Amino acid sequence: MSIGPALRYHWNVNLLGRAGLRWVRWQAERRVKRGAHGKSHILTPPLKISARTKELIGRHYLKGRYANLRGKVAWVTSGAPIEFLKALDFYLLYPENHGAVCGTTRTAVDICAQAENAGYSRDICSYARTDLGTMLSCQTPVGKLPKPDLLLTCTNICQTVLHWYRVLAHHFDVPLILIDTPFVYTETTDHSVAYVKRQLEEAIPIAEEVAGQSLDERKLKEVTRLSKLASELWLELLGRCRHRPAPISVFDQFIQMAPIVEMRGDNFTVDFYAAMLKEVDERIAQVIGAVKNERKRLLWDNLPVWYRLRYLAEFLGRHGVVIAASTYTNAWAELTPKMDPERPLESMARTYMYPILNRGTGDKLATMRQMIDDYRLDGVILHSDRSCKPYSVGQMDQRDRLIRDFGVPALLLEADHNDSRSFSKEQVANRLDAFIEMLEV
Amino acid sequence: MTIPAIPRRIDVIRTFKEQGGYVAAVLPIHYPRSLLRAFNILPVEVWGPPGIKARDGAKHLQPYVCSIVHNALSFLQSGGLDITDILIVPHTCDSLQGLGSILLDFVSPKQPVIPIYLPRGKRESDVDFFANELRSIYRQLEAITGHSPTDADLLQSIYREEAADKLLSELHRCRRNLPFSNLAFYRLLRNREHLPAETFMELAQKALAQKVDTTQDGGIPILLSGIVPEPMSLLGAISQMGGVVAADDLACCGRRLYPPGQSDDPFRRIAERILYAPPDPTRGNSIKERLEHLLQLVETSGAKGVIFYEVKFCEPELFDLPQLRQGLQEAGLPSLTIEMDLNDPLSHQALTRLEAFLEMIQ
Repeated sequence: MSIGPALRYHWNVNLLGRAGLRWVRWQAERRVKRGAHGKSHILTPPLKISARTKELIGRHYLKGRYANLRGKVAWVTSGAPIEFLKALDFYLLYPENHGAVCGTTRTAVDICAQAENAGYSRDICSYARTDLGTMLSCQTPVGKLPKPDLLLTCTNICQTVLHWYRVLAHHFDVPLILIDTPFVYTETTDHSVAYVKRQLEEAIPIAEEVAGQSLDERKLKEVTRLSKLASELWLELLGRCRHRPAPISVFDQFIQMAPIVEMRGDNFTVDFYAAMLKEVDERIAQVIGAVKNERKRLLWDNLPVWYRLRYLAEFLGRHGVVIAASTYTNAWAELTPKMDPERPLESMARTYMYPILNRGTGDKLATMRQMIDDYRLDGVILHSDRSCKPYSVGQMDQRDRLIRDFGVPALLLEADHNDSRSFSKEQVANRLDAFIEMLEV
Repeated sequence: MTIPAIPRRIDVIRTFKEQGGYVAAVLPIHYPRSLLRAFNILPVEVWGPPGIKARDGAKHLQPYVCSIVHNALSFLQSGGLDITDILIVPHTCDSLQGLGSILLDFVSPKQPVIPIYLPRGKRESDVDFFANELRSIYRQLEAITGHSPTDADLLQSIYREEAADKLLSELHRCRRNLPFSNLAFYRLLRNREHLPAETFMELAQKALAQKVDTTQDGGIPILLSGIVPEPMSLLGAISQMGGVVAADDLACCGRRLYPPGQSDDPFRRIAERILYAPPDPTRGNSIKERLEHLLQLVETSGAKGVIFYEVKFCEPELFDLPQLRQGLQEAGLPSLTIEMDLNDPLSHQALTRLEAFLEMIQ
């Protein structure tokens, strides 16, 4: 890196940016201390560490803004095996996470419109439309996204990411690494695991060439170790919601999951979740629940409705209903035991083949059933997500089985994770009201 | 000149079963025909079918799943596939992945369900994986049928399918020298979806015997891209409006002109044939490859425009459209996109757009 860009990066990220973000964090912490979030009779104020979450996310995107000045950038899918890229010092951008930021800041629809104006159908994934809208217009609530030098897509969450990243590869004219993970209908086969491992081995020289450096095996092991540590903490954190009342709800989890998705493999992510766990334990000790007057506990299936998190939390909280667990946030925790820092590639091949989205619909039902028992839940909300087919197909049978075979009340709620045009407030309210009545709250 | 007599699908199935064979209902798009035939299984493809009551499928699938998947499940549940012995569900897209999974886990039809995972690349690792996947399917078929075809049996079956595909390619290549309308030609081609290779070859040879030296003046040449030309009345409409389908990039037709394999290992050879076929987004080919392929088809066929005829909610197709259309535009080729649902007739709006497009490129 030459001196000019290096200085610019250092000045903007490490001096000005860091100071600015610390100031924002300090102000947010003061607000929490003063109780400036308002005295809600429904929900407990957010975790104190939320100010640090915002700082981490802000810093991640700030680094991204200047990342092209400092080194190589890779755009990656949320379930991709990123450890080797991290060990090669790539700055990693997760377009899905960026999509979620656009969703929560309610800028996604405007950005999607940019993609739709360019011919992208409203029937494709709204994360993809958000990302393609940003790609075409540079519109984003985080200032600016860095251009990729490399793309990494992994089909363990959907085939959509393959189609989406082919579009990115064509637009940016950069190499696309594909890690194809055969879908596990019932059980995996040895030749599938070998195939994924071989693709990882073949991906490394491509990434090395782009990075301009060789992969240091010790560094790969260290990154994998940090990934595993952070995932273990995340797993513990989610497990704390087995307590009654649940110290945090899935709406908190949705916000707090950003680092485990886009910053795993970093030291500070481990520290962050350790600190969060401590705060959550304090809540448990003081019998503080995410929802005041918790009466019923639910499971959430599928992606969040990013632009309506607060609305849904308050709507349910008003009736003493907390959503204590989610198959979605659990996805970044449940595979932790499979990770082995001493055998990074082989364990990555096994780990990254098994996310819930790469397993059969019956297996997903079994996971839900297990979570209902573990978390002592009273019902399930299955978010039928219009633009996420792999997560949603199968939900109608899963709902029927939950009701018929297990006697668990279950509701199918129609919406979309990022496109608020597919969210009907009245319809959702009516359905939730009826469901809550059925739960006999 | 007329198209040779085509045996009815149900008659083909009955005859095959009467002769002691099995019948497999196969969902789109790519699957190992020769492997099935080596086990005396006749693959009969299920592209929907169109125009059926999709009520039964709606019990299991949300409305935002495409009509091919909806109709296939409805058809199965209404007894339309009762005559078949096996269901083959290639992992073509997220929706077919879901269908395969709910068939295995929840619907549990009377026939055994065999999903096939297709790799999304054509690297050496993809070929090796797919060959292994085919070996695994071999073992499943062995368990179902009790047959164990040898490598020689498999190779014989592969050579037969390669010969049939060679004739299929020949039909595509000289389509404008054949005296058939758009509709008649595609009815002929689509027999490959259910006829045994040997019967199809007889039919193809009869059709090719009618080839003339001069190009038939069928009208304005266009290239048709998409998944499946349903309702087939689309083809009649193109003819009526003065157009002729001079080439296609349809998933059910042109994207399945499988080249001969190279390997002597039967499983690798089948894998090579499928993975090295013309570009298809469901097999992960890049947009650049697809664009180059379309431009080559345009060049060889003399097409003056491209019609993208897409099934609603089909993500693999929809993602590519803007960049493909832009690439075509830069090459001076106009294009049109029409979206359809398998259960709807061709809309008046679509016909008007088609007519305007043909007038524009004339």
